[in-house]
Amino acid sequence: MLSIDTGLLSTHNRDLSALTPEQTAFEIRELSLSYGDKPALNRISMKIPKHQVTAFIGPSGCGKSTLLRCLNRMNDLIDGCQIEGQILLDGDDIHDKRIDVAALRRNVGMVFQRPNPFPKSIYENVVYGLRLQGINDRRRLDEAVEKALKAAALWDEVKERLGDNAYSLSGGQQQRLVIARAIAIEPQVLLLDEPTSALDPISTLTIEELITELKQSFTVVIVTHNMQQAARVSDNTAFMYLGEMIEYSDTNTLFTTPAKKQTEDYITGRYG
Amino acid sequence: MDNLNLSKHISGRFNAELEDVRNRVMAMGGLVEEQLTNALEVLQSGDEQLANKVIAHDRKVNTMEVTIDEECTRIIAKRQPAASDLRLVLAISKAVTDLERIGDSAERIARMAAEQDGKRHRGMLMAMDAMGRQTQRMLHDVLDAFARMDVEAAMRIHKEDSKIDDAYEGVVRQLMTFMMEDPRSIPSILDVLWAARSLERIGDRCQNICEYVIYYVKGKDIRHLDMNQVEDLLK
Repeated sequence: MLSIDTGLLSTHNRDLSALTPEQTAFEIRELSLSYGDKPALNRISMKIPKHQVTAFIGPSGCGKSTLLRCLNRMNDLIDGCQIEGQILLDGDDIHDKRIDVAALRRNVGMVFQRPNPFPKSIYENVVYGLRLQGINDRRRLDEAVEKALKAAALWDEVKERLGDNAYSLSGGQQQRLVIARAIAIEPQVLLLDEPTSALDPISTLTIEELITELKQSFTVVIVTHNMQQAARVSDNTAFMYLGEMIEYSDTNTLFTTPAKKQTEDYITGRYG
Repeated sequence: MDNLNLSKHISGRFNAELEDVRNRVMAMGGLVEEQLTNALEVLQSGDEQLANKVIAHDRKVNTMEVTIDEECTRIIAKRQPAASDLRLVLAISKAVTDLERIGDSAERIARMAAEQDGKRHRGMLMAMDAMGRQTQRMLHDVLDAFARMDVEAAMRIHKEDSKIDDAYEGVVRQLMTFMMEDPRSIPSILDVLWAARSLERIGDRCQNICEYVIYYVKGKDIRHLDMNQVEDLLK
């Protein structure tokens, strides 16, 4: 398994374009996207490394959520959305006709801004994806629930009341439950779209702590409005503006010595 | 001031805080420069009153160091500065440490010069005069470079330190001659030697401040590198 401490990737200012295919989860090539005649992404190219946290930052409307949603083809559901360019996941083009979109979304899980548990028990929320896959063996489900809730740092808080309705949990707990639901089916990648913007600061820190844990097992891509959050949790940060990828580098470099003035102005809170 | 682009933050309060801490560090620099000038004057004249003034004002320098550092801490805690803003706050926080130590050196020189008994050692103290003036100029230039965050000036001044080192060696040789000629004067010559050493250290501290200017502007840490490496890094 790759981690930040191994060889090539351990230095400050590391070159993300030099990642080998084995180190790369997603490779995005010249990706452009428009909604009808309104362009949203313009020729984005980047490599997203495995087992690291990569953050997309930028002002509202810069295309960061659009880019995130491209990674598991959520934009397919939007009328008039046109995509050019390629997104490779482990070397395979995710837009290839032979790709099963449902399988892609199982492999690339997603968590949204507002916690969206189902109106079911905590237990049933976690096993929902597994049941869809036809798994009903009680012991296997029990094991999966414990494993996923532990990985989502929620187990100790809910282990005595797995039968309670998910709505009885606090917002932060619900968000961790949703993360548990996403990881129960053991995806390769987790996409997090503003996962803490509806949470209080303590729940936010718990989720951030969790994100750092999760990268041991998953590749994590996060969109956040909170720059300090990107600085805290991510290994790599991409700054986007008006559908362009302005700068993409390791987080340490981007937040201390950004190369582009637009990045500098944004992260230091200046108007351009 | 606009070359630092401090007035462009969306938060006007943040602009004001950065401007304020920067103005304070320049004021501190001015005071330290004055302290050194006066200390060197005492070296020439033995003016005890002026020496007492230098000693008294050292407290002011110390207070400024603490106040500015507190302000830097507050900015980091409240504003979470990034990129050039972060580098500015760090550069200032480090520069005040060096300025305070330069202030200490000035105080030590003034104290020593006032304690030397009258004309007997004046000759030795004069030996330090040229070195003193070099140091004074270096401090003046480095404060100027810091105010304008001028990398080229900082690089040039950084190299100047070797001249002060050479002058220091010259003074040491001269003082050794004095010691050999008249061993009874060794205790007071050692005091003079310490003062010369203080001047030499001021040169080193000015060099540090040059490094902070380069760090702020270029984002590169050139500490502990030789000049060839530095030039490669800054290409």
